[in-house]
Amino acid sequence: MLELTDLRVHYGNVAAVDGVSVTVEEGEIVAIIGPNGAGKTSTLRALSGLVRASGGRVVFRGVDISRWRPHRIVALGLSHAPEGRRLFPQMTVIENLRMGAYRRRDGLAIERSLAEVLERFPRLAERRRQLAGTLSGGEQQMLTIGRALMSDPTMLVLDEPSFGLAPLIVREIRTIVESINRDRKVAVLLVEQNARMALAVAARAYVMETGRIVLSGPAAALRESPHVKAAYLGG
Amino acid sequence: MSIDLLVQALLNGFGLAMVYVLVALGLTLIFSILEIINFAHGEFYMLGGYVTYYAYALFGLNYFATLGLAILTVGLAGVVAERLIFHDLRGKALNAFIVSLGLLWVMQAGAQLAFGVLDKPVPSAFSGIVRVLGLVISVERLVVTLSAIVLIVALYLFLRLSRPGRAMRAVAQDADAAALQGVNIEAVAALGFGVGCALAGGAGGLLAPVFAVSPAMGALPVVKAFIIIIVGGMGSLPGAVLGGLLLGGVEGLGALFMGSAAVNILGFLMVIAVLLVRPRGLVGGA
Ligand SMILES: Nc1ncnc2c1ncn2[C@@H]1O[C@H](COP(=O)(O)OP(=O)(O)OP(=O)(O)O)[C@@H](O)[C@H]1O
Ligand SMILES: [Mg+2]
Repeated sequence: MLELTDLRVHYGNVAAVDGVSVTVEEGEIVAIIGPNGAGKTSTLRALSGLVRASGGRVVFRGVDISRWRPHRIVALGLSHAPEGRRLFPQMTVIENLRMGAYRRRDGLAIERSLAEVLERFPRLAERRRQLAGTLSGGEQQMLTIGRALMSDPTMLVLDEPSFGLAPLIVREIRTIVESINRDRKVAVLLVEQNARMALAVAARAYVMETGRIVLSGPAAALRESPHVKAAYLGG
Repeated sequence: MSIDLLVQALLNGFGLAMVYVLVALGLTLIFSILEIINFAHGEFYMLGGYVTYYAYALFGLNYFATLGLAILTVGLAGVVAERLIFHDLRGKALNAFIVSLGLLWVMQAGAQLAFGVLDKPVPSAFSGIVRVLGLVISVERLVVTLSAIVLIVALYLFLRLSRPGRAMRAVAQDADAAALQGVNIEAVAALGFGVGCALAGGAGGLLAPVFAVSPAMGALPVVKAFIIIIVGGMGSLPGAVLGGLLLGGVEGLGALFMGSAAVNILGFLMVIAVLLVRPRGLVGGA
């Protein structure tokens, strides 16, 4: 479904992503874990067209989208919930959700998606008229995921959805990601620093350090790897 | 001094200020979408004045038709300017500063070459006065002010209700996030620049019969627009309207006591006073 081949991202002369290859199959949950500054966010920004890759290829649903701009990539079914939530702070919850359906013209189906998202996130339904900028961190993260679902994607890219959230909310987010994947057959590429959470939801995972993939395999196997244990799971 | 006189003075001030609000809203819209200040904004206002002049002088179009033509033509010129000159400068404030200053000189010199340096008078389409509650209002001023208000409301509805308007608000709040929702940022930037210039062009068309049309006519409204923007808060559309009302009130009242040159200084005093109390302007956020 998604295939990154030898992807490179440079900022000036510095390589932030230095030849990364990652695949995600249809309906699969795949995680990328790694420390601060490893290049995880840069990888995601390149695959959704926010930065131009300096090398390599991105193929999504059989189409080479390496040079595409973001708005066309969304339309192809890849939805990206970015790092730091990036909501529209002066818009209400509902307006944010409707922005997620910006490419869609099928009014009735949009209303159906909206109802579905509000059902999945009852807390957003309660706060539908509240400005996004005034939501709590957990609510903002849910709105970010809800907004990403509004484009009716076949693949969801999540950048650190658990960042800054209390353990209870992290568990809730995890349940939501699993249920989205199960109910809607949406493939998920999950970037996380919370390795415990990521390796629990994902079927497969990649470990990224200083711009490269240093380890990859089934999540269960990575949980047992001495390197992952020492560096990411606290021994 | 009678209350009537005060109200009259305020109305006079608000009347012109609403037109300057249009200029300020255009600048603000462009700033919020492209994160640049277009210093050639007054030259698009000037272009609106010339379109009005020639539409009247050559084709004898009526007031509202010339206004519509000014808005459309200058809007289109704005889209072209964005595509040719500004499209790579989104977020690059310094480069845009230099480039837009260059454009200002080119457009002014171009206007001098093409249209001549002399003032071109545009005759008033409306004459006479109306008396309301003891107030005396010139019909021309009334039409100008109401037209400006209609355009402000139209802009508000466009931003609130239309799909491109929604995209513009999204880009203004977070351009990357808007792109990830499927907004074509380049198209929105071009359209936003066009709409911003169209507002300036409309203002130029509205004031063409009030002042004369000349290559340098853009300087004054842009100064007023900057005062409005700084008082209201950079990037805030409601702030621009509020700033305009304040400027209009201050200038209107000031005109009771002093000459027009001195009145122009009042705006700057107001800027200083507001910035001392609220450095980000009245409606300025982060
Ligand atoms: N716009 C930018 N300009 C210059 N350097 C950048 C830019 N964005 C990221 N970098 C650098 O690229 C490297 C990778 O950053 P990136 O944000 O991709 O890492 P990350 O793995 O997502 O980190 P974190 O877990 O902290 O979010 C870092 O060294 C960062 O400083
Ligand atoms: Mg990151």
